Amino acid sequence: MPMSSADTATVMDFDEVLARQAGRGDARAFERLYRAHAGRVHGLCLRMARDAAAAEDCTQEAFIRAWRALPRFEARSGFGTWLHRIAVNVVLERRRVPTREEPLPPDPDALGELSWTFDTPVELAEIETAVASLPDGARDALVLCALYGYTSVEAGEMLGVAAGTCKAQLHRARQLLAARLNRGIA
Amino acid sequence: MNDTGIRTIGELPVEVPPGRDLWPAIAARIVAERAASHASAAPADVARPLRGARTPLALFAVAASVALVGLGLWLGRASLPGLDAAGTGAAAGSTLLAAYQPGSRFVAERAALRRDAEVRLAALPPRTRAKVAASLQSIDHALRDIEAALGQDPANALLQELLVNTYQDEMRVLSELQTTGTVGQEI
Repeated sequence: MPMSSADTATVMDFDEVLARQAGRGDARAFERLYRAHAGRVHGLCLRMARDAAAAEDCTQEAFIRAWRALPRFEARSGFGTWLHRIAVNVVLERRRVPTREEPLPPDPDALGELSWTFDTPVELAEIETAVASLPDGARDALVLCALYGYTSVEAGEMLGVAAGTCKAQLHRARQLLAARLNRGIA
Repeated sequence: MNDTGIRTIGELPVEVPPGRDLWPAIAARIVAERAASHASAAPADVARPLRGARTPLALFAVAASVALVGLGLWLGRASLPGLDAAGTGAAAGSTLLAAYQPGSRFVAERAALRRDAEVRLAALPPRTRAKVAASLQSIDHALRDIEAALGQDPANALLQELLVNTYQDEMRVLSELQTTGTVGQEI
């Protein structure tokens, strides 16, 4: 059953309360946060890092850094978003050698909003493989925006790039994904 | 045409639980870092040199034990069907408010579960039995370490938390062993 907005608000408030408790050194509160968020953080790390062992290392490191930073946590953006920022930083730091990226469209701001619906269904494993095969920049933007629902501005901030660059990477990801899956994306 | 696939990127699962429980390693790092920061914050000529020197060491030892419990628990978890693969949040959450000092009812129930576990363990296939027994041994070892450390520093909140968490880990293994049901089945 989908979560109502009231339930969502309760969950968010609960996270905030736990985060404050954990920030005061309550390890049990932090374990609850870990239990609640580990799957999403690991999913994010796995898609960005493309390696199961690296994703687990990054997830672990993200939670340890979060624990250290919790006393300074301010609930402006929500605990989950804050945690995702940390996880993205950990993955990016791990990529010591940046991959060579192809040039992006010259005017990314002119690009419209994207939808991500395939013209025919795609098997889960097939699409995961296609996503994993994308260049880092395009894949990062796709994972954060199309999968985790962040805006180009938010994803750009997380990735340390301009929102326009992030949007351009999204378009590139869409083109590459359509070509690799041999399907139209409406 | 394939009708069983997904139609949009948004249908991809955003929650992908890690292949193992990362919490024990995270908890161990947290404990070790706390111990290190306490040690570095302590003045060199503390009035109570024994306690000042022993508590961080005890915490390191406990952290190592907890990490071992995590490894042992993982072995048990991998071999026991039906255990929450995403972690132990529900079970942990329901008992988090338990008193730090085990009550008489808890002690009695724990003893009964341990006796029952002996019987059930004997009926398990050798490989599974070895894994579950190793988990329980690791837990026993961690409990001894934590209780010894609490003997040195009874008011240490982190040690108290670790004690409760370790008892919870033990209960999870024992409960799961009890509900496994099909004794003798290779699991």
